[in-house]
Amino acid sequence: MGQQIKFALLQSTHRVVVVLVRFLPGLLAFLLAVFVLTAIGFLLASLVRRLLTATRFDERIAASEKISSPVNFSDWAPSNSPTLLVARVVFWLCILAGVAVGISAFDASYSADDQVSLFVLPYLTHLLGAILILFTGNLLARFLARSVLIGAVNAQLQYARFLSFGVKWLVLVLTAAMALDHLHIGGTVVELAFGILFGGIVLTLSLAIGLGSRDLVSRSIEKSIEKPLPSRPEASAATEIRETPGPKLRHF
Amino acid sequence: MSSLPIADISNENPLGTAARSAASVLICLPSLSAEALQTMHERIAAALPGQSVLLASPDVLPENTPASETIQLVEYPASLPHAGWALTASDYLGAADLAQKHGASTILVLGAETVSLSTGGLHALVASVLSQRVDLALPRYQTGPHDALVSSALLYPLTHALFGAGTHLPLPLDVAFSSRMAERLAAAARRLGSAAQSTPLLWPVAEASVAAFVVREVEAGERTMPHPGDADLNSLLAEVAGSLFTDIEAKAPFWQRSRASISALPTAEPIPLGAETEELAEVRAMAESFRSAYLNLQEIWSLVLPPQSLLALKKLSLAPAESFLMPPDLWARVVYDFVLAYHLRTINRGHLLGALTPLYLAWVTSHLRRAAGDATRSALHVEETAAAFAAEKPYVVARWRWPDRFNP
Repeated sequence: MGQQIKFALLQSTHRVVVVLVRFLPGLLAFLLAVFVLTAIGFLLASLVRRLLTATRFDERIAASEKISSPVNFSDWAPSNSPTLLVARVVFWLCILAGVAVGISAFDASYSADDQVSLFVLPYLTHLLGAILILFTGNLLARFLARSVLIGAVNAQLQYARFLSFGVKWLVLVLTAAMALDHLHIGGTVVELAFGILFGGIVLTLSLAIGLGSRDLVSRSIEKSIEKPLPSRPEASAATEIRETPGPKLRHF
Repeated sequence: MSSLPIADISNENPLGTAARSAASVLICLPSLSAEALQTMHERIAAALPGQSVLLASPDVLPENTPASETIQLVEYPASLPHAGWALTASDYLGAADLAQKHGASTILVLGAETVSLSTGGLHALVASVLSQRVDLALPRYQTGPHDALVSSALLYPLTHALFGAGTHLPLPLDVAFSSRMAERLAAAARRLGSAAQSTPLLWPVAEASVAAFVVREVEAGERTMPHPGDADLNSLLAEVAGSLFTDIEAKAPFWQRSRASISALPTAEPIPLGAETEELAEVRAMAESFRSAYLNLQEIWSLVLPPQSLLALKKLSLAPAESFLMPPDLWARVVYDFVLAYHLRTINRGHLLGALTPLYLAWVTSHLRRAAGDATRSALHVEETAAAFAAEKPYVVARWRWPDRFNP
């Protein structure tokens, strides 16, 4: 009995050691690939930064951008510097390449029919992709929500906050559905739930806009029917803020 | 009353005593109809008698135009004048190139609807550069209490406080300048326009102040101001304010050094608006709009403005239309905070400038209430605003240098 237990323990220890011995070279290869490509990325980023600084890249970008545009390259750059943004993109691309090479080396250390190789590694890449989708979707949702809120307030729409909230959740729901689909979680349930939720939000927003801006739309239609000719300079939106019988305000 | 260290208003000194009268004057016209062009030809001949004038126009003069010995037509460069609601960088660049080509010492660039500019206005602009050793002469038109509101609320006070030039229309439609000023403007236009596809705005007053050139504002009488077309207030305000904020950012070392000790004017009591006035109805509607904007945008404003400004805006949003009044010092601090947020890119610049519009309209509401349809009271309110900007200048200098200390 004791011999049998001892044998079973030795066998299991042996199996674990064998797995570890097979796992460690792959892990070391992964770490080495990441380390080497990080160093290369650091050097490349430094080189790119020097090159762009010498060619006055920041000034050229700043001159080519339109100030009133809601999306400018410089707005996404850290410390207002597109040069820094490009350098960091190069650096992180190298790190990503290192991770990809490392995973490939890690994968090569397993046999083709190994369960870990078949399921875990592809899932890891999907997980990374899903995180990226969530991050991008969250950024986009916040940006669009703010744009809609400011635009709606300046257009004097009553439901500005509601519209902004609706757009934000529309993008977030879409992002969540995309991330879950990327991870193969939920299957048709997610698709169905997403369809219902997305459709519900769109319908709610349509009703809100339809009811909230009924007067605005009717005024706009009336104006276009009454004025078949191109709008006169006196009716410019930039010079007068409304056509009520108040004093005529000239902003410019 | 605030002192105006660089600019002053003067139409004296005739052309006869001109120091630079031997050299020719270049006048750049926008595209005009044949009739308007003939009118301008006659008006220029009357405004500048005996003066050698080079007239640049993209159009051809009608054949029946009376010949003049002193006025000589010159070809316009390939790029046509912008002829918009304000002069752009390409207008200055084209004029400077022409002036260099023909050796003109004084340049007068006229904008759209220039036919409405009087002979006296033309004379005053050219005479100040020709005879008074002024490098940049900007016109001041006779405007109503509800005209040029963006200039009164933002452009004039900021230019006055930061660059020390009390010109009421810093984004000119007509302008006269010397040849050395033309060179400087051309260099600035080339910097701006080398990569940009659009027509960027240029701030000649700031350029002149940085170069320590003499700037003068001259009375130019009445003039029809061209309309900005179909662009809406939000996009135009964002374009103009963004351009000015960029210029302020670029010239930060200059305006942080210059010190002007100007104290704020005491704020006059607003006239209670009668129940029947148009202004009161407008003020009610605009105050209501501001209330709605405050409820929706306070989250965004809180990223830009310090707590005391937010508190003041909250009080303003709760005020009834009859007592709705944005204090000039509050407006000055708000604008300075937006300039700083623009510099630091606290939030997306497009969003930032969009969030400024309701605050600007709150100033316009206060202006309506203060002016009460009277041009004198309107001018007083504008001067109060300008003085508040000058008095609050240490605030923006301190925040610019140590932004973290004041972080909201």
